[in-house]
Amino acid sequence: MITFEAVTKRYPDGTLAVDALDLTVPDGKTMVLVGPSGCGKTTSLRMINRLVEPTQGAIFLDGTDVKDRNPSQLRRGIGYVIQQSGLFPHRTVEDNIATVPVLNGWPRRKARARARELLTLVGLDQDLARRYPHQLSGGQQQRVGVARALAADPPVLLMDEPFSAVDPVVRASLQDQLLALQAELRKTIVLVTHDIEEAIKVGDLVALFRPHGKLAQVAPPEQLLAAPADDYVAGFVGFDRGIRRLSFLSTDALVLDASPVLPADATVAKALATSQPWICVTDADRRPSGWAAREVLAAAAGDTPLGQLRAEPIGHPFTVGTDSLRAALDAAVLSPAGQAIGVDGDGRVLGLATFDQLRAAIQAADAPAGDRMEARRP
Amino acid sequence: MWSWIPSNGSLIWQLTWENAKLGVLPALYGLVISLPLGVIAARWRWFYPPVLTVVNILYAIPSLALFIALIPAFGLTDTTVSIALTVFSLCVILPNVVAGLRGVPAAVTQAATAMGYGAFRRLIAVELPLAVPVILAGLRVGVVASISLASVGQLIGVSSLGYLFIDGLQRSFPTEIYVGLVLVIALALVCDLILVAVRRALTPWAVS
Repeated sequence: MITFEAVTKRYPDGTLAVDALDLTVPDGKTMVLVGPSGCGKTTSLRMINRLVEPTQGAIFLDGTDVKDRNPSQLRRGIGYVIQQSGLFPHRTVEDNIATVPVLNGWPRRKARARARELLTLVGLDQDLARRYPHQLSGGQQQRVGVARALAADPPVLLMDEPFSAVDPVVRASLQDQLLALQAELRKTIVLVTHDIEEAIKVGDLVALFRPHGKLAQVAPPEQLLAAPADDYVAGFVGFDRGIRRLSFLSTDALVLDASPVLPADATVAKALATSQPWICVTDADRRPSGWAAREVLAAAAGDTPLGQLRAEPIGHPFTVGTDSLRAALDAAVLSPAGQAIGVDGDGRVLGLATFDQLRAAIQAADAPAGDRMEARRP
Repeated sequence: MWSWIPSNGSLIWQLTWENAKLGVLPALYGLVISLPLGVIAARWRWFYPPVLTVVNILYAIPSLALFIALIPAFGLTDTTVSIALTVFSLCVILPNVVAGLRGVPAAVTQAATAMGYGAFRRLIAVELPLAVPVILAGLRVGVVASISLASVGQLIGVSSLGYLFIDGLQRSFPTEIYVGLVLVIALALVCDLILVAVRRALTPWAVS
């Protein structure tokens, strides 16, 4: 656990970077510090491993004031990842990763073996072990940076804008990987970003800073979206927070209608008998293959199998229970039928959800605020 | 007239060897002195401007003048030439040591500190290795200049390929001058190539 107690940092030129910060990062959680530039989030992060010393107040790591620890020893127990990866250009990937174990006196052979384990852990090929950093892509370098931070298995990980220097596609995959790693490793992570989307995606808790080092709100991301403390927070979180908040609501309780779902070998007559405006046609494995519109059905002979009709593309289905209401709503918006196709883990159709059913699910999820479903991430 | 070469083979070889020693060793001394000075100058910025001024003034002194200035203390010896050449080498190597150390990316030094390197260990394990290409570039210039200047030492009687210039001039025998000239250039070239090879070996990581 990391605790900030009334921590203030004032630089010699008088700039107030952090102003009486009180903050607790629980064990095994990801705390994201987010805010505009100059809000003191990076300074706060750097005070944890004493790259910056506070002017007033104290920071406790598992109950010990960090200023009572030897800086080098303290830092070897805290993983650190920065924006431009900060890899050592003159060391191979494996030796970069092995840095802290070697500093801790491990034999080089053992440290390199550990480095190779970590390469796998962060999703990189073992063949990269002997390369130099400049031979890797930006995303690969960033993964190596994460592997290096994890090498000595520190309980705490500090990440300073770790994904801001890569393109959006790579960034999303690095974020997904961080979530997967964190699900497995349960580190205490403090991550600094200026990107509220990133904060909401990767944080268990989000600490939103005002300029000059004042905290505006500390809350789980869904609460930040649902109940911003004031206009500053609401403004920072963005105007479409209502939609984004749906990312945190589960599709478990969504009521699905299976009656407009028919296999490809069912006849037009049977489809017309449902009196539904759109029929979701499925293949032999009950996976969705297309939408059949009522006009198309009406123009065809009654004994025609549905599979032979012209079908509209299905857009994307959502996985019931795994995907959020946001994914379900998106599926409905993109569907020509205005309905979302709910599938199980194997992609088989469970049923359809209309906008009305989605709205009902959103309202139901909002009502008992205490036991809101956690349907956060894939 | 080319028969002069084989008949004086041992003299030519001896002069070449003496010139090599007289040129290369001071450059290495210059490097050894430049490293701590450069480290201090890179760390405490106020230290560098006055040092650089002194270094530039020293570099502006004509080599012969510096030899003569050192004669009262060290006589007409190798030592006099070596000290002068060490000073000149220092003048070209020191700025490269400073530039090399300052050129280490801030993200890298910051990461090293955050990984738990102390200042000294970081210098040895991270900063100096990364400064090697720039430092060796300075050493190459220092060695080549020093080999060429070493021949001037002949004017105060210190043996080097400069002997061939003076002797050739006095005897109006151009062959000897050409041989000396070619050997000085060849010597500098060989030393330079060796340093390139050393750099390649030390910095397999460099983008080239």
